[in-house]
Amino acid sequence: MSKPLIQLIDIRKKFQSGKITYEVLKGINLEVYMGDFLAIMGPSGGGKSTLLNILGLLDRPDSGLYLFEGREVNTFSEKELSRLRNQKIGFIFQAFHLIPWATALENTLLPALYGGEITKEKIQRAHELLEKLGLGDKKNHKPAELSGGQQQRVAIARALINNPTLLLADEPTGNLDSQSSEEVIKIFENLNKEGLTIIMVTHEREIAQRAKKIKFLKDGKFIED
Amino acid sequence: MVFNRFFVKEVLRELLSNKVNLFFMVLALTFSLTALNTIYALGKSAEKQILDTLANLNFGKDAALVLAGGGRMMGLATTRTDTLKMEDIKAIERLNFVKIVSPFLGNVLEVNFSGKAEKLRVDGVLPNYLLANNWRVFQGRFFTEREVENYAKVVVLGYEVAKKLGLKKILGEKIKIGGEYFTIIGILEKKGSLGHYPLDERIFVPLTTAQKRLFNVDYLSGFKVVFQEGTDFKQNVNLIREILRSRHKLLEMEPDDFRIITPDMAIERFTKTSRTISAFLLTIALISLVISGVIIMNLMTASVEEKAGIIALRLALGANSHDIIYHYLFSAFLISGISGMVGWLISLLLIKVISLFTPLKPLFSWGTFLLSFGFSFITCIIFSIFPALKASKINPAILLKSL
Ligand SMILES: Nc1ncnc2c1ncn2[C@@H]1O[C@H](COP(=O)(O)OP(=O)(O)O)[C@@H](O)[C@H]1O
Ligand SMILES: [Mg+2]
Repeated sequence: MSKPLIQLIDIRKKFQSGKITYEVLKGINLEVYMGDFLAIMGPSGGGKSTLLNILGLLDRPDSGLYLFEGREVNTFSEKELSRLRNQKIGFIFQAFHLIPWATALENTLLPALYGGEITKEKIQRAHELLEKLGLGDKKNHKPAELSGGQQQRVAIARALINNPTLLLADEPTGNLDSQSSEEVIKIFENLNKEGLTIIMVTHEREIAQRAKKIKFLKDGKFIED
Repeated sequence: MVFNRFFVKEVLRELLSNKVNLFFMVLALTFSLTALNTIYALGKSAEKQILDTLANLNFGKDAALVLAGGGRMMGLATTRTDTLKMEDIKAIERLNFVKIVSPFLGNVLEVNFSGKAEKLRVDGVLPNYLLANNWRVFQGRFFTEREVENYAKVVVLGYEVAKKLGLKKILGEKIKIGGEYFTIIGILEKKGSLGHYPLDERIFVPLTTAQKRLFNVDYLSGFKVVFQEGTDFKQNVNLIREILRSRHKLLEMEPDDFRIITPDMAIERFTKTSRTISAFLLTIALISLVISGVIIMNLMTASVEEKAGIIALRLALGANSHDIIYHYLFSAFLISGISGMVGWLISLLLIKVISLFTPLKPLFSWGTFLLSFGFSFITCIIFSIFPALKASKINPAILLKSL
């Protein structure tokens, strides 16, 4: 078997709230391979988002080992982490998080801006992605002029602009109606078929079942089934 | 580091997304910049005007003023003041490096015309007074050598005097000076003011008339001496000092019983006051600049807090902390540019308006332009460092907080 894209060994994370510290992640072990499509389920407050933050290099664990493409993430500088987030990881959020004053096209191009240059190729790719996601006629619309489903599709285009290795999605359908949810999960399936590795947090069973694998996170640990 | 159209647009649109905030940042800065520019420009203008007047008085580089009585330049005399005589003038006139010596005897006297009374400076002078002071007759004529010899009761008015006394027909009219009637024979050209001293509110009579009929003394208040061009100014002044000391039979340890005022001293004296006032006002303007800097810092910090989600998003999408700091410093740069421009334009307008109501003439200078933009830039950059650093330390993990 090939080397895993992601390997977590005994990842722990504590939070302090006033005088009380409590452990949100109590020893997470996880292997994700290229081409995987993993859904993580679990009760609210179980630590799913915390785990996704760590996976997405937005937060560091207190202890444990995180290997990304075989390299130990703990040793990376802040600059290297930014670069990895920019080049290798695409994020999808429950609340979309689009920039309100920028058009769909400009929102899509944002990661390209921080990647260095906005080249002709990137602009071309942004157009193609938006067209592919059914937003060909919405390129110059601001987020406020788009429906929730459309906004999430812009967010997907943005996540894909730099051709990432890994897509991380936290409750991507949490704010959507069932029809839009269906559209989004369909897109995820297609992207996975094209080879993109996806880790998705959700509490909707029907959505989770569209993934190739489901894991349950409860009280800071994966439940072995 | 990223810098392209997209980045500039992004920074601009973020600024414009909170127009109230932007408005108050620009307002705070514009206010203090306007004050700074206006004060600076007016100070420069006042100073230039004084220098112009001094030059116009022919107090050029080769003239000196000698006043009777020793002591500090503009203070009261601390020695006898009755020692400077016409014979001293004659002696100085004979020196080969001297071009003109113009003696005067003057004081403030009550001047009357048809029931109206004004306290005016009356100077007894010789016909060479005009030449020595680069002054010309506006109407009528100046008095002659003959009139000086004859103690004639004729008078020449400064430009503003007729108006002050309410004279209609001027030439040939009689006015009362110190109880005696004098016939007006001429009016001098307008000269302006030196600092606060109105040069055009003086009147002139023959020196002899002043000595005999007005003040009843045989000495002089002082004289102005103009040197031949190309002679050594310092040496000339020293020689005059020696001659006066020996003529007045002063002993080695006795102080001078006269004061020699040179153009350098005069310029310093008149510009010092305006400089002191300017420095004080500039300090206030600089303090207000710091206050506006603090206002900008607070508004920008508020704006960073408001935009925390968007900043976190940028970090999540691959911006590093330098990119974020850079974003807010550039944002400050734009604010400084807008404020600098507005502050500069308003101050130009203000200077123009002020010049309509005061004798100050507006001076356009690239100095105020640079001052405006320079201070604007420095203030903005210094006071945006804190909010920029704060922005760069935002934790991108907040993005995944459930709403
Ligand atoms: N930055 C933080 N500071 C303190 N507590 C936090 C922080 N982030 C998350 N938590 C807490 O950690 C627990 C797990 O949160 P989260 O990972 O968001 O759960 P989930 O996404 O599974 O609902 C919750 O109790 C939450 O309140
Ligand atoms: Mg969550």
